[in-house]
Amino acid sequence: MSEPREITIVSGLPRSGTSLMMQMLSLGGLELLTDGVRVADTDNPKGYYEFERVKKITADKAWLPDARGKAVKMISQLLYDLPNNESYKVIFMRRNVDEVIASQEKMLLRRGVSVPDPAVIKSAFSTHLEKLFAWLATQSGMDLLEVDYKELVTNPAEPTNKISAFIAQDLNVDQMLTAVDPSLYRNREHAGSG
Amino acid sequence: MPKTNIDDGLYERAKKAAEQAGYSNVDELINTAVENELKRIGEEDAEAQVADQLRGLGYIE
Repeated sequence: MSEPREITIVSGLPRSGTSLMMQMLSLGGLELLTDGVRVADTDNPKGYYEFERVKKITADKAWLPDARGKAVKMISQLLYDLPNNESYKVIFMRRNVDEVIASQEKMLLRRGVSVPDPAVIKSAFSTHLEKLFAWLATQSGMDLLEVDYKELVTNPAEPTNKISAFIAQDLNVDQMLTAVDPSLYRNREHAGSG
Repeated sequence: MPKTNIDDGLYERAKKAAEQAGYSNVDELINTAVENELKRIGEEDAEAQVADQLRGLGYIE
């Protein structure tokens, strides 16, 4: 049987569950492309699962062949830089944007970075995602699966089975489910607020 | 309704283009062009704000 050539991209806005998804895929048996440079901290106690060269994809795409058959984490805005001579399975994490912003605010403060007006960044994220999804729909080399973070954390079996089917490799779903820790679902909106 | 000035030559070109492209009149073409430009500028501003946020969080350089 030939080796899988598709690159699995785990994407989304920061703080939308991309690290959890990487952990799940790893436990399921999918090889990850990571370098361990960014280590676990308060914001991501189980690690970031990042590959630093991703951040330089505009100038450096030479690592992409090494990502075939593996999963790599890439923040949403960098998806535009993926060359169309590869095939991708994009798992895009979706999370309530107010929760995302609240979590990002805490992370920015811990990093000593000024926090923007939440209304301004919310509008910017909305415009960004609208444009991105319109673009994704035109990309023939990208298969897309959207995963809702809240559903994944609160009722993980169904989305995990969908993820396994989407990846189309023999992933260990039971192992994937062990990654889900509802206690890490912080910065959630209060009930009834969205 | 507000009015604006447009160069005569540009107006004639827009009028001709509107006819060829199937717009009901030149006003419709101009409105569409302004809407599209406003959307583009808004998207650029949004992407810049998103980039600043991602940089602050350490996800892009």
